[in-house]
Amino acid sequence: MRFSALLRKEFRECIPWLLLAAVVFFGFGGYCLRAFAFPRYGYLYNPYFQPGSLVEPYRLTNYSALQLPGIWLSLTSIGLGLILGVRHFWIPYFTGTWPFLLHRSVNRKTVLAAKLTAAAITFVISLGFTWIVLYWYANRPELFTLPQTARIFIEGWIFILLGLVVYLGTALSGLSTAKWYTTKAFGIAFASIIIFMTFSQWQLFWTFAVIVIGIVILLSQVIDTFLNREF
Amino acid sequence: MSDIVLETEGLTKYYGSTVAVDHLDMQVPRGCICGFVGRNGAGKTTAIKLMLGLLNPTEGSSKLLGCDSTTLTSTIRQRIGYVAEGHRLFRWMSINELERFQCAFFPRQWDCKFFTDMIEYFGLSRRKKIKHLSNGQRAQVSLALALAPNPELLIMDDPTLGLDAAIRRQFLEGMIQLIMHQGRTVLFSSHILGDVERVSDRILVIDKGVLRANCSLEQFRSAVKKVMINFDDSVPAEVDIEGLLHCRRSEKELEVTLVGTNEEKIDEWAKSAGAAQYKIVQMNLEDQFIEFTAPPGRKKLFQWEEI
Repeated sequence: MRFSALLRKEFRECIPWLLLAAVVFFGFGGYCLRAFAFPRYGYLYNPYFQPGSLVEPYRLTNYSALQLPGIWLSLTSIGLGLILGVRHFWIPYFTGTWPFLLHRSVNRKTVLAAKLTAAAITFVISLGFTWIVLYWYANRPELFTLPQTARIFIEGWIFILLGLVVYLGTALSGLSTAKWYTTKAFGIAFASIIIFMTFSQWQLFWTFAVIVIGIVILLSQVIDTFLNREF
Repeated sequence: MSDIVLETEGLTKYYGSTVAVDHLDMQVPRGCICGFVGRNGAGKTTAIKLMLGLLNPTEGSSKLLGCDSTTLTSTIRQRIGYVAEGHRLFRWMSINELERFQCAFFPRQWDCKFFTDMIEYFGLSRRKKIKHLSNGQRAQVSLALALAPNPELLIMDDPTLGLDAAIRRQFLEGMIQLIMHQGRTVLFSSHILGDVERVSDRILVIDKGVLRANCSLEQFRSAVKKVMINFDDSVPAEVDIEGLLHCRRSEKELEVTLVGTNEEKIDEWAKSAGAAQYKIVQMNLEDQFIEFTAPPGRKKLFQWEEI
């Protein structure tokens, strides 16, 4: 009951950003996807993509219709992670609500767990669900020549995990009481390194491993900082 | 059940090299209403946060309801009401939503009727969002939220700060409702000595992180006094009277502020110094507090021994 009350509160704070992220990703990602759909190629409508063109088979087999939406997914995911991190761990400091929140008949672990769970749910609903919808749409044979592979679907979820890395990095920086030019920047800097490593060496297993390691490191730091921090 | 609900031992907090709370030793007995007073930056908020485990002490310890502040269990927290400085609540929530949120943490204790009565007493609409409430109304909601679980110990950090006289009066009356419940203990910090005088039976004075008085209000009222001493000739060069806080002199008149000095000793000193006459001037609590904590010309620190 206490956890659900905390979870409800944290999730309510995420809702505006959940909707914004869903709208941005669905809007831009969906628009890019529609451009590849058969009835009209949209901005890709040019002679190279005309039926019978020599270029078309190459394009169709080497260019996933979900590639551009995937870029939008990664950008939205990073943006959402940043915003949720600020909302959950920076804003209470500025609004002075930490003492009210922490003087509850629950321990700090529960408060933190509610925040992390709310963030994870927000990612799943806003981006995960939208990604599933776009993946389903991109797999409609009457609209797209080639089916999308499961690998592409998993890559989308890796982008979503990348958002969680940014969320945890922002949380860690927000919780740190150090100066900006010292360890306060560590969280965001570490998340930036993970993003760089992800995009510089894109291989499914490697990327997944880097992100998971990043999440584990950041999560352990966030837990430790939150449990021992002064408010 | 212990008679001491709040206890600190050598509680100290440093921020870098600055000491915010300096070896605070105090005990608050059950059932009293304690006014915790001090100037701006005296260390009241830091001390309260240390007691509630929101800050970690540099040295020393504190106990609330017998439990160490750094490891307050959820069961103990359930028995403590806390009104934070500035009444910072979740701005996007309505009063109804806040009640539901708060209630979840006090499932057995929450007195729904009491909360409703208080909200009605303050004339607030339950559907109103916190962000649309004035500072005073937020204070009233804070108080209702803290009182509705019927806490054994209520800690309030400057609850009347920024409230006008009428709202402050209403707030204090709301607080008295809690006090009417037997055995409830209240610790509240304040700048407004009139409020402290109206509701407290005990006073804690903190100055530059040091606890300088911990006694009943009457004791404090009778301990700090101002004496005007007139001389036929000039005022003596050295004033050496027990309990001297401040001393202001003109040509033939000496004004001294004393603490804990009884009339016999004043009389004795006046005679020995060759005073023509002296008069003990009645001071209000605010003047007493200002004199008691004023730094210039302070002769010595006064540590009240009695609890």
